[in-house]
Amino acid sequence: MEFKYIAILAGLLLLAFLLYKELHRANRARLIWRILANIVALSCFVLLIVPVRYKTHLKQNPDEIILLTRGTNADSIAKLKGKKYALASATIQNEKSATLSDLSYFLKSNPKIRKLNIYGYGLSKADLENIKGYQVNFHPSVNPNGIIAAHWPAKLKTSDALNVQGTYQNTGNQPVKLVFKGLGKPVDSTTVEAGTNKSFSFKTYPKQTGKAIYELISLQKNDTLAKEPVPVEVNDQAPMKVLILASFPDFEYKFLKNWLYENQYPLAFRSQISKNKFASDFLNMDSVNLNQVNAGLLKKFDILIIDEEELAAISPVERSSIALAVDNGMGLLIRITGSKPLTTLSGKSTRFEIPPLKGKTLNLTLAEDHFRFSPLPLEQGLFLRPNQNEQSIVTDASGKTVLSSNISGYGKISISSISSTYNWILSGEKTDYATYWSKLLASAARKRNDIQSVNIIPQFPVVNQRMRIITDLSVADKSPALKIDGVQLHPRQNMELPFQWDALYWPQNSGWANLQVNQTIGQLYIYEKNDWRALKYQQTLNDTHQFIKDLIKNDTKIKLADTVITEEISIWWFFTGFLLAAAFLWYEARILAV
Amino acid sequence: MLKTEGQHWIRSLRIRWISFYLAGITATALAIALLLSVTGFYLLHLPAWIITIIFPLVLAILLFCKPVWKTTDLDVSRFVNNHYPELEESADLLLQNETELSMLQQLQRNKIENIIPNLVQPKEPFKRLSIGLAILLAALIISFGITKIPQLNQTASASRTAKSPIHSIKENIPAEISTFSATIIPPAYTGKGERKQKQFTITAETGATVNWKITTNIGIKKLTLIFNDHEITPLRALNAAHTEWNFSKTINKPGFYQLNLDGKKSDLYQIEVIPDLPVTIKITQPKPHTTIDIGQPQKFNLNVSLTDDYGINDAFISATMASGKGEGVSFTEKKLSFNTAFDNKKSITLTKLIDLKSLGMKPGDELYFFIKAMDNHGQPSRSDVYFVSIVDTAELMSLAGMTNGVNLVPEYFRSERQIIIDTEKLLKEQATLPAATFKTRSNDLGIDQKLLRLRYGQFLGEENETEIGGDHEEHDEHAEHKSGEEKFGDVSAITDKYAHKHDIAEDATFFEPEMKAQLKAVLTEMWNAELRLRTYKPQEALPYEYKALRLLKDLQQKSRAYVAKTTVKVSALKPEKRLSGELDKITQPVQKMAFEQKEKRTAYLKTALALLEKRKIGKNFNEQDRFLLGETEKYMIGAAADQPATYLTALTSLRKLGVASKPMLRDIDVVQQAIQKMIHIELAKPQPQSAGPASVLYQDYFNNLNKAGR
Repeated sequence: MEFKYIAILAGLLLLAFLLYKELHRANRARLIWRILANIVALSCFVLLIVPVRYKTHLKQNPDEIILLTRGTNADSIAKLKGKKYALASATIQNEKSATLSDLSYFLKSNPKIRKLNIYGYGLSKADLENIKGYQVNFHPSVNPNGIIAAHWPAKLKTSDALNVQGTYQNTGNQPVKLVFKGLGKPVDSTTVEAGTNKSFSFKTYPKQTGKAIYELISLQKNDTLAKEPVPVEVNDQAPMKVLILASFPDFEYKFLKNWLYENQYPLAFRSQISKNKFASDFLNMDSVNLNQVNAGLLKKFDILIIDEEELAAISPVERSSIALAVDNGMGLLIRITGSKPLTTLSGKSTRFEIPPLKGKTLNLTLAEDHFRFSPLPLEQGLFLRPNQNEQSIVTDASGKTVLSSNISGYGKISISSISSTYNWILSGEKTDYATYWSKLLASAARKRNDIQSVNIIPQFPVVNQRMRIITDLSVADKSPALKIDGVQLHPRQNMELPFQWDALYWPQNSGWANLQVNQTIGQLYIYEKNDWRALKYQQTLNDTHQFIKDLIKNDTKIKLADTVITEEISIWWFFTGFLLAAAFLWYEARILAV
Repeated sequence: MLKTEGQHWIRSLRIRWISFYLAGITATALAIALLLSVTGFYLLHLPAWIITIIFPLVLAILLFCKPVWKTTDLDVSRFVNNHYPELEESADLLLQNETELSMLQQLQRNKIENIIPNLVQPKEPFKRLSIGLAILLAALIISFGITKIPQLNQTASASRTAKSPIHSIKENIPAEISTFSATIIPPAYTGKGERKQKQFTITAETGATVNWKITTNIGIKKLTLIFNDHEITPLRALNAAHTEWNFSKTINKPGFYQLNLDGKKSDLYQIEVIPDLPVTIKITQPKPHTTIDIGQPQKFNLNVSLTDDYGINDAFISATMASGKGEGVSFTEKKLSFNTAFDNKKSITLTKLIDLKSLGMKPGDELYFFIKAMDNHGQPSRSDVYFVSIVDTAELMSLAGMTNGVNLVPEYFRSERQIIIDTEKLLKEQATLPAATFKTRSNDLGIDQKLLRLRYGQFLGEENETEIGGDHEEHDEHAEHKSGEEKFGDVSAITDKYAHKHDIAEDATFFEPEMKAQLKAVLTEMWNAELRLRTYKPQEALPYEYKALRLLKDLQQKSRAYVAKTTVKVSALKPEKRLSGELDKITQPVQKMAFEQKEKRTAYLKTALALLEKRKIGKNFNEQDRFLLGETEKYMIGAAADQPATYLTALTSLRKLGVASKPMLRDIDVVQQAIQKMIHIELAKPQPQSAGPASVLYQDYFNNLNKAGR
């Protein structure tokens, strides 16, 4: 039996006893009053013990507040009536408003508030989670002025280009000059006209080895509007290992060999000199047995360059081991000269031949980034027709493919119909030669698997704000040792992906930080609070807009859901009643009765 | 002994005479010395104290020539006698001892004694003095003029080259230096005057002499100049107090230097060199390859423009003539001058008519020539080689090549060769022929030419009588004929009706486009020849005929492939024996090499860039960093020695950075820019792409996908 029933029962018993006593009292004056007082006192006493609760529907017009977030224009809210609360991040002057340090706490403690009028740039994703189920009106401020989107690779390899791309939103009425500056000098610049959004793309080749901070500076005449850091790290990488199998030595191989040799790439070169007799070169590497091509040998190399004649001449076992190695990730570059495929490996792409035009030079273009090479004095007649599985990498001036690549398992097979690129070196166009072969080898060669990868949320981790570090490991089920600047972190495993771990961290200092995952140390840049401000504002704006959109979709549901709350009558009422009744009884017995 | 009044007068005259004379001579000597030393100082750049040597020397010489102090009283009395008739030739009496004189002499003497004081003082000594002073004045004016000569030169050269004034660069000058100047004396070939500047940054022509004059405000024990950070040269003190210093150096290379005042080093100052460029030669006429056809004059005009930064000294044509054929080619070289004075002009346009005949050239010979020029510093330069050839008519007219080919032209056609022969014959007989006959024959030749042209036109697929201004009348007739039989719904017939269809002349034959183009050129020449013949101007037609013939010959040669007969006998192959040799003794060559990057420069510089980047955010340098900075500084000194204008400020900044306690962003920027310039362009290197970590899950996914694909 519940406590309250016991209490009520006890109360009733006590009341019966008291009434009996009253009725048998000698002094019968004011009997009715005394009985009433007894009843009131006892019932109040019982209700003191047993609280009275009742359910009510909410009022038709719920409480609403005005929530001021960052970027609120003080003038626009001055006329508004109602309670104004400002988030701590919103810096509003000359305006009476209560400051909220924690929105969710405030909302929980004021359950009557059902409607929020949000002014400014809106709320962050985490805060938006907390106002689910509320009626929200969003009055956004004007769009922030500045870079609202930006991306660049944080880590580069030597001789790679740094591409910084993004969008600048100029809401002002004057043009803004955006300057990309790095390593002591302006690299590039662009002008954003007043009242427009402009995408920008800056490209540079960082020359340093190590860390550097580039800057995106927005200027309006002589005023610097913003200076956003672009941290970049450039590191050397272990060079790829190249194997060349030649049916006969020619100039193309010779120049390629020398070029790779001078760039310190490990290279094994084999060319046939007679039946089963080979001449072999081992450059920048230890010698291995090249007489027989097998899986073990191919595993040591990242890319195999072979001409079609040689591919046809080697034994079928060797060919199949090459095919297998390609499926396991090795790159294969086949140089073809004839219009008829000699092997199945090289026959994957269709070829066609047109009579070459006499005296015409070959103008090659990189299909991907439209890089134009200087003309080669060649009369090219053999072209490739890439099918839908193939990617054309190098084309001639009229768009006919001369070099294509297709995926086979983990690896790639590239087929090239260009016979002599060494003409570039002979005519002094070393840049073209280097660009051509770099692109070719990089796109074909075996991809290097990282031991782990690290992802940071948010995109721009800010000092004294929470950031999440997500690492992907190659080995699952082994907790990684995570350290930032010597602070040990304790990662948590992803429930679905066992190799993914994440950890939370509040950085203390801005600037470069060392992030250690197991044994490897990476670099991480912690931004200042004011860096990339416009971008962050735009993000909260977008998030809030999206939230409102989702809200409207689910709006009907919210309205139907009856908001019923339980109210409790304050015990002070009962105590007062009890006190008054008891006081009357006492007064009547002591003073009136005497 | 008491001197008489007359004696006294004469003596005083003598003293005045000598002193005035001496003053005059001194003035003259001063004038001469002044002139000489001014010339020496301003034009020959001798030190100023040279006047202290020259003046006594000149004075001594002058005095030696005219020993005026040797003048005695007697000389004076002789002069007085000559000058004043009143003295009646007896002034010398005054000088003689009174006691030794005779009665008469005494009387005379007394008489003169009375006269002498009343005599006017002679003007002669004054004259002397005034002449001397005049000379001095003249010398002063002249020397003043001389001092202006360098300036005049300068202004002249400035106006000529419109030279920008030396822009003053702000320099940090050590506090010990009160004044200084650097005098730059450009070498003679530039024709520029010397210039004096009040800054240490020097821009000088190659081979210029620079003279530094430094005055310090306190005595310094040792003042040295350090060139390019390794070449130390002490300065010479000019005075005992060690405050005046002087130094001269000939500048041939760019670089930088700094002052070292008793161990205290100044900033770095750059030395830039303006090099002397060789003469640029531009041939505007003729073209690189010129062919002179028959009928054209065998001469050509040569137009050359030469330019140099200081002056052209000489230019000539170096011509080589090649004559003969095959193995009998002989070469003769000739040097042709332009026959003009160059006078160190900065730019000159030369023209020369070169007569090939006078050079001894015959048809079929070729002339190769180029122009060689020298500037006033002796730097040679030469142009490209140009070719001029004269077409050989004999070769054209020869039947070689025509005789043994298949002749497609029917007999009734006259060949181009025959037309030429006939034209020449007609021209020869022109004088003897009546005008009417001449005209008919010329017209006949024109008809022949037309026939030939049409014949060749057929090769090109020309269907009309003439392509030039061809008519289309017949085609309209065709259309009318066909219009009768028309099928209903025959689309092609309907379109044919409205379309104007031809065989496309271009596609009718199987000639290559290049050959077609040449055939067309032949036809044009033939048409031109025909035009002249028909208008009775065979003389004018001749060049066109020759050109047509030459082009035809070329065509013939082009369409012919020549294979020499061979009579080599090869023994029969035994197929079963092929590729069956024993190979076991053949060793397989193996080559092993490792490329060693000897030069650490780029690697160091790249790391230094990142190091400076680190410094920007406030990290201090440690030992290792300082070593790296030291290495960078070494490379930068090397770079600055070659190009001070680019790297000197960076070097200064780098040194500042090494000692500064605070990161100085501006200096870091300057150094970073310089380092990036030093690295040059980096060529792309193949970099393997990276993929995410290969977890088992991904591999399983891939394998399953592969299986599903099969």
